[in-house]
Order: sequence, then structure tokens, then C-alpha cells
Amino acid sequence: MSNLFDLLVAGLATGAIYALVAVGFTLLWQTSQTINFAQGEFVMLPAFLMLAAMHAGAPFWLAIILGILLSMILLGLGFKMLLVDPMMRHGVLPLAIATMALAIGIKEAVKQFFSAEASPFPSIVPTGDVSILGHAVSLQSIGVLVVAILAVVGLTTLLNRTSLGHQMQAAAQNPTVARIIGVPVERMILLTFLINAFLVALASLLITPIYLAKFSSGEVLGQAAFIAAIVGGFNQVRGAIAGGLLIGVLDNLAAAYVSTQYRAAVPMIFLIAVILFRPQGLLGRAEERTV
Amino acid sequence: MSEPILSVHNLVGGYGKMTILNGTNFSVPPATITTIIGPNGAGKSTVFKAIFGLLRLREGKISFAGRDVTNLSQRALLNAGICYVPQGRNIFPELSVRSNIELGGVAAGKGLDLPARIEAALDLFPALRRKSAQQASTLSGGEQKQLEIARSLLLEPKLVLIDEPSIGLSPLMVQQTFDILKSLRDRGVTILMIEQNARSALEISDIGIVLELGQTRMVDDAKRILNDPRIGQLFLGGAMEESAA
Repeated sequence: MSNLFDLLVAGLATGAIYALVAVGFTLLWQTSQTINFAQGEFVMLPAFLMLAAMHAGAPFWLAIILGILLSMILLGLGFKMLLVDPMMRHGVLPLAIATMALAIGIKEAVKQFFSAEASPFPSIVPTGDVSILGHAVSLQSIGVLVVAILAVVGLTTLLNRTSLGHQMQAAAQNPTVARIIGVPVERMILLTFLINAFLVALASLLITPIYLAKFSSGEVLGQAAFIAAIVGGFNQVRGAIAGGLLIGVLDNLAAAYVSTQYRAAVPMIFLIAVILFRPQGLLGRAEERTV
Repeated sequence: MSEPILSVHNLVGGYGKMTILNGTNFSVPPATITTIIGPNGAGKSTVFKAIFGLLRLREGKISFAGRDVTNLSQRALLNAGICYVPQGRNIFPELSVRSNIELGGVAAGKGLDLPARIEAALDLFPALRRKSAQQASTLSGGEQKQLEIARSLLLEPKLVLIDEPSIGLSPLMVQQTFDILKSLRDRGVTILMIEQNARSALEISDIGIVLELGQTRMVDDAKRILNDPRIGQLFLGGAMEESAA
């Protein structure tokens, strides 16, 4: 029983990180029809930016701020202006393929210029355990959950409770009409790219202490976030949150009760089941699109 | 007739190489309902897009309230007092009814007393007030059209461009929508409307404009156009010249 509780907490913590990444993923899709297959690498890179800042002598807190800012410039502004805007003219599919190329590019660049070895990464939460309901729960897991929940609550408050958020939603739901009523649609799209860059940098900060900084770690992360987004409903922020948590828990339970070797297969099987029986995702809405 | 609030002079433009507007000319007097009718492909919606800065004009000039507004940005046009309600469904389905209306005030910036304007808009539409907290997607077709009109009124426009408001609505909803347009006119708002449902639209209109092949064929009192035998002919597919000959 104790084991199950620990697994659930650990699963929710990983799931919360997946949720952050999946939320960014769905935001990009909603506002700009960008399917970002480099999203996993987007999570991998900020940790290296922070490590590079620390190697240059910056204290950890400063490295975090620099890492987040640099991510927003490179993975937000740069990504939109240098890759998405020029490729979008050619369609959704060429853009998706270009993001796959970007994923390979980022991965190889980190391997080349930083290291092919896994590097340890400091945690923002102190190590150790606390006792909850008689169970020892790692501070790490709790810290991750708290930060991720704060980020998600902050984001949903922005989206649902502020005029800026309503404008972002308007730009995503119906850009033509948004423009007609005076919403600065281009600025709203840029904002979602910056928010996505912030979310992946935050996810990077939370997950790298657990899985170490490695050039290839984006593969698993990107896949988990992608599955989370689809399972939850590709077009819903709350779907991505639910999907992330679900995949995190499922992943951890599968590792413990099925087999560590089949750990990655279980979310995949689940994904196939969802696509078969509820293609719009658990919380998604069906979309109509002319082909 | 009083000084026109809107005049379009010799508009020429279209999509790519295709020319839709071929020297369109007309003017609209203030506080009237003016309906543009014409066969499919006459350029009715394209005129609206041109007025609202959504179509690059090759030639021509648009004046509004004594000012040249040709090719201004949407935000500038909204602030000048023009708003545009396009054809079809133009709501944000997943936002609440109230948030949808509130977005109509985005272009105004800080100076606007938004809550008061939203209340005023909801006063005009009791059905929307009852459902103001619901998701806009739950509204009926007619209510969605009302929502678009309510949203467009938030900036207290002087001119409303409304494209096919009756499309897909039940006869009762069409009547209600037209009643709203009449009450707006009575409060001094100028309505420029495109309607496929030409007969009922002309019945509530002051002026009718007949557009054909991107040119103005006729501008006259709406009642006279309504009674013109050539108009029926035009809508049956024949051109005006043929019927006149």
C-alpha cells in the first residue's frame, strides 16, 4: 500500500512536468497550428543553458534567470521568427517536419558543443523526505508538484480571468474575427510562443535534477508530452493538464507493476486506445477541418 | 439629403489577378438603413472588406465622416466609428457570452468604461443577459448573431457594416434581428447591410443599392427599388440591360 502511495506521488510529480510541456504544446497548436516536434528538445536545452551560465561563474539563481530569459529569446522569439513564420507559409506539415529537423539540430548541437555524457543538475528543492499520512514522501516530488501547480494555476488565471487571456483565446479560436474586432492577433501569437518557452524552461528546471542533463533526454519528454496532449484533447489546456498527470502516473505504475522495459509502451498503448475510442481526446472537442 | 457619412469613390480591387470591384461608387446618408443587393459575385461582401481595410484597393477612395479612411488598419477604423459584422458565425465559441461582448471593447484602450458599456449592450438583448455566463457555443444561431451585434456596439459605432445577418435564422429571429437594426437606426446609428433576403431587407431599409459585376447599378429609395419590376428579373439571373431592352 505504501508503495502505491509513493508511486502515485512520484507519478503526479512527473505528470505535472509533462503537463507543463503538454500545455505549451497545445498552446502553440491552438494559436498558430504549430505542431512542435522539438518540444522535448526545448525542455532539454534550457538546463544546458543554465549549466553553461554556471560554468561561466554565475550562481545558481542567476543561471536560472538567465536560462529562462535565453530560452524565451531562443525558443520563443527566435523559434517563431526564424522557423515558424517562414515555414508556415508552406503549410502545417512542412512546418511540423521542420520542427523535427530542429529537434535533431538541437540534440546534436548540445552533444557537439557541451557533452555527450549526462551531467548532474542542482535541484531547486532540498533533498530529503517529509512524512505525509505516515508515508515518507520526497521533498523533490512535492517541490515539483507545487511549482508546476503554481505555473498551471497562473497560466489558467491569465487565460480565463484577464482581458489579455481572453484576447489570446479569441486569437486562437477565430483569428479572422479577432482581427476584425481589433485584437492584435500577431502579438497574441508571439505571446504564446514566449509562454511556451517559459513553460519548457520551467519544466527543464524541475525535471533535470531527476533525470540528469543529457542531450538525448528530450526524446522521452517530447513523446510523453505529445501523448499527454493527444490523450487529454489536443485543443484544450485543461486536457493537456489532465493528460500530463495521467501519463505521469501511468508511466510510474507501469514501471512498478508491469515491467520497466515496457514502461514506455504502456502510455503508447493507452494513446492508441484513446485514438480508437475517443479521437478528440478525453477532454477535447471535435474539430472540423476541410482537407 | 444630408451630407453622407460614408462615400466610396471608384473602388477597384479584387483577389490576386481577379478584379471584383470595377469602379464601385455610392454614398450612405447618416442614420439610415441602406441595403446592398445584387446577384452572387456582384462584389457585395468585397465592398465591405474594402471599406474595412481587409482588401488592398488598386484604385479608389473611401471617406467616412469627412475623413479619408482608405486602407486604414482595423483598429483605426474601429476607433473612427466603423464596425463590421461579417457573414456566418463570428463568435468565440469557448468564451462566455459576457467575455465575447467584452472583447468588442479591445480596440478602445483604457479610457472606456467597459462594465457600463457591457451592461448597456446586455440591456438591448435580454436573451444574452440571461445567458451571459454561459459558453457562447451554447447559444442558438439567432442569439449568436445578436451576440455579434452586441459586441460590435461596445465601441458605440456610428456605422455598422453587417453582412447577411439573416442567413440561417428562423423567420422569427430574422424579424427580431431586423427590429434591432431599426432601433439602432432610430438612435442615430447608420446601418449598411448586405442581404440575400432582399425583399424583407428592403422593407426595413431607407435606401437600396443594386450592385452588379462590381459596379453600382442603382441607388434609390428602398421602396422604389422594392417595386421596380427589373429587380426581380435581376435576381432571377438576367442582367438589367437585358430586361430593359
